[in-house]
Amino acid sequence: MTGTDLAADPTSRATSAGVWAAAARPSRLVVDDTVGEPGGLLGIVGRLRAGRRPSTATLAMIPFLAFVGIFLIWPMAAVVVRTFTPNGRFGVGTLVRAVTGPYQSAFTNSLMLAGASAVIGGVLGMALALALRGLERPRWLRPTIDAWSSVASQLGGVPLAFAFVAALGTQGVLTKALAAVGVDVAGSGFSLSTLAGMTFVYLYFEIPLMFLVVAPAVGGLRTTWREAAELMGASPVRYWLTVGGPILAPSVLGGMLLLFINAFSAYATAYVLNSSGQLVPLAIRFVLQGNVITGEQGLGYALVTWTVALLVAGLVLMNVLQRRAARWSRA
Amino acid sequence: MSAVTPRVVTPRVDTPGADAPRVRVPSAAPARPSRGPARHRGLRVVRWTFLTVLGLYFLVPQLAMARFAFQNVPVVLLNASTLFSKWSASSLVDALSQAALWDAAKTSAMLAVLSVVLDLALLLPLAILAEIRAPRLRPVLSALTLLPWVIPPIALVVGVAATFRDVAPGFLTSTLSLVPFYAIWAMPFTYRALDSGLRAINARTLVEAARSLGASELTVLFRVIVPNLSASIVAASGLTAALVLGEFAFASLLLKNTLPTYLVNYQRDSPQAGMALALAVMVLTALALGAVVHMLRRRGLGMSTTGF
Repeated sequence: MTGTDLAADPTSRATSAGVWAAAARPSRLVVDDTVGEPGGLLGIVGRLRAGRRPSTATLAMIPFLAFVGIFLIWPMAAVVVRTFTPNGRFGVGTLVRAVTGPYQSAFTNSLMLAGASAVIGGVLGMALALALRGLERPRWLRPTIDAWSSVASQLGGVPLAFAFVAALGTQGVLTKALAAVGVDVAGSGFSLSTLAGMTFVYLYFEIPLMFLVVAPAVGGLRTTWREAAELMGASPVRYWLTVGGPILAPSVLGGMLLLFINAFSAYATAYVLNSSGQLVPLAIRFVLQGNVITGEQGLGYALVTWTVALLVAGLVLMNVLQRRAARWSRA
Repeated sequence: MSAVTPRVVTPRVDTPGADAPRVRVPSAAPARPSRGPARHRGLRVVRWTFLTVLGLYFLVPQLAMARFAFQNVPVVLLNASTLFSKWSASSLVDALSQAALWDAAKTSAMLAVLSVVLDLALLLPLAILAEIRAPRLRPVLSALTLLPWVIPPIALVVGVAATFRDVAPGFLTSTLSLVPFYAIWAMPFTYRALDSGLRAINARTLVEAARSLGASELTVLFRVIVPNLSASIVAASGLTAALVLGEFAFASLLLKNTLPTYLVNYQRDSPQAGMALALAVMVLTALALGAVVHMLRRRGLGMSTTGF
């Protein structure tokens, strides 16, 4: 976001600054927590054990911790425990079989779908942020895109899939319009139920999400840096390679990881587009509904364990990157 | 879009200290005075082409959906002459006249309200405490409220089926059993909304002032803090409503009849009316979120709607 943008709307300065304060804060703290969070909780428990009178703050946490414990931690812990103890004894058999056996293709497909939509969505979201950089006319454009991004980044799910079916399904308006000008969409192998088609649909919420994540970082590129680089004779390419690029890199990579997490766990859109598709979330549904050979139910737990492990790893990495990004970002 | 928009004309007056990239002002780019204008014209074309294509990508599916829902012309017969004929809202009227829809809508509305209330009851006291008395709670809260991001509904539903079904078999049969889980997924943005709201109003000073004037703790909470946090609370409510209107995996796998699951079943039986309903739900979601974004902007409240 540019300075003149802000000058036009005095309240937005506070907003944007706040967005950064808000966005930077959790990342820093969470990094501490992904390592120290059990410690933080254990610390409270330890203090209770030690017989010291717990403070009001500690006591006030109990209902909240109990709630999260019952409805989030307990079910997930049960899944992890069952994954590692398939026959009542410790073993990693199901965990291995989940990624080598019948669901191997689901994993490959989900990784490809999430990866492709993260990279393409990341590049396009970044391009959008760069395209809007320094753009002051028309005045309504920037606020509109800001607001639309917040909306569209949450618009996954059933209605979105329907919208794409109406546009690009076999009977879609766009499919027919393209056929009229000689482009055979279906004949070219494109279908919304394929990986390419799903990636195309996922971009609808991935691009705006990326834009929301990187726009503050792009706004943080100071004009003075560019001017300084130019005064010292650096070409635009050199400027982007040595100044702009390295400063934006952590936000861009962090944003792409967020996009990856988002796409990997998306369920409703994929279900509507292709309910029998080979994707991890759909495979989990299959196992949960009992559509498996007897004795293979454990695979469902292993699929969930893999998914959550992957997403947690992504989140941890993302926070490391965001902490770096926050150093130079501003809105 | 690009044809009617006034182009940026250089040079223009920059506010002092403004951070606009000044490379477009010729005097600030003395290195390449000759290549400058041509390069910028090229860049401008690329930029507007890109924005237009992206705009079309976001607009066309919605328009296609509207056409499918509200126009009674088969796609085969669709051409320039039939483009504006036979539009009618009868499909939406059909969809809205289903009693089952209102049951599902009522369920979803109730889930949204209860999830917001539950989240506020759990998080508001803690957020206040972390802000005014115990900052060391903040990292714990911040991390725990981020956890739902990496535990998607499709993962948690497996754990819930594995645990609650054995321990409390009656629990999952009630539709209201979704409330605690929706409250869990609403936590990331609810906590962040409250936290940024508390920072914006300078809560510590407010509380000290109220206490020194003799207000009880409950008075402080309900007559000082909550009214000042209205923006945060509305934001959290809007985002939660959008979440509940969109969540499909959990409700469908636990065989609950909420608006999204109803939508999928209904669309299977009556495609056109289902499409109209889906469009209505989408517009409703967009309006709820749009109102939230607009209000946050107007109030100058910094908060990301992504929950990060």
